[in-house]
Amino acid sequence: MDAPASADIDARLRYHVYETTLQRGSPPSVAELRHATGLSIEVVRAGLARLAAGRVLVLQPQSGEILMANPFSAVPTAFVVETPSYATFGNCIWDALGILAMLRAPGRIRTACGCCGEAMDVVVTNGELAAAAGVVHFAVPASRWWEDIVFT
Amino acid sequence: MLLFRSEAHVERWVRQWQLPRGAVLSPQQAWRLAEAWYGPDRRPAEWRRRTVDETEAVLAELGLTGPYWSLRRSPGDS
Repeated sequence: MDAPASADIDARLRYHVYETTLQRGSPPSVAELRHATGLSIEVVRAGLARLAAGRVLVLQPQSGEILMANPFSAVPTAFVVETPSYATFGNCIWDALGILAMLRAPGRIRTACGCCGEAMDVVVTNGELAAAAGVVHFAVPASRWWEDIVFT
Repeated sequence: MLLFRSEAHVERWVRQWQLPRGAVLSPQQAWRLAEAWYGPDRRPAEWRRRTVDETEAVLAELGLTGPYWSLRRSPGDS
């Protein structure tokens, strides 16, 4: 039997990454993806690298595990997103909103002013912003978002 | 992208970190952008990232136009 093409592998991995992430709020590990897909660790890692090169995912620099399955973060951040099913982390305020948009779920984002640290909550109900104060600052022009996506 | 209590707090933050001031959106604009950006289900095999033209169209629909929101690098950009 022919080996699956890279595009097919990447589509399978992308499906499992987002299926798992949406279900529980955190991206799967490389080992979990190997188990879910039946692919070898080497094939999973190569697929994740292609997805990262294609800006679908961001990987942790040393371990090669998923860092961002946008808009979800695999590691704790200052953007806690409380959904009806779980609490999770967004990569930034835009991504925190993006988690509730992707889930089509109500929820509360717990964060703080980027300047002074005062606690700030953003609430989404019925697909609308129910409570939010302040302003959102984009520090990086759109053409440079992916130059350093962790900073962005 | 960070949330700030006000534009004054943005100004103080960019001064403190010696960064250029970026673009400021209302939470409502950011929510609409999040809905447009992350609304499509990424699980199906046919999903793909938007092209530059498609992405700029999404931004433009939300009124986010001009050099700051362009995805094309100017020749003079370093």
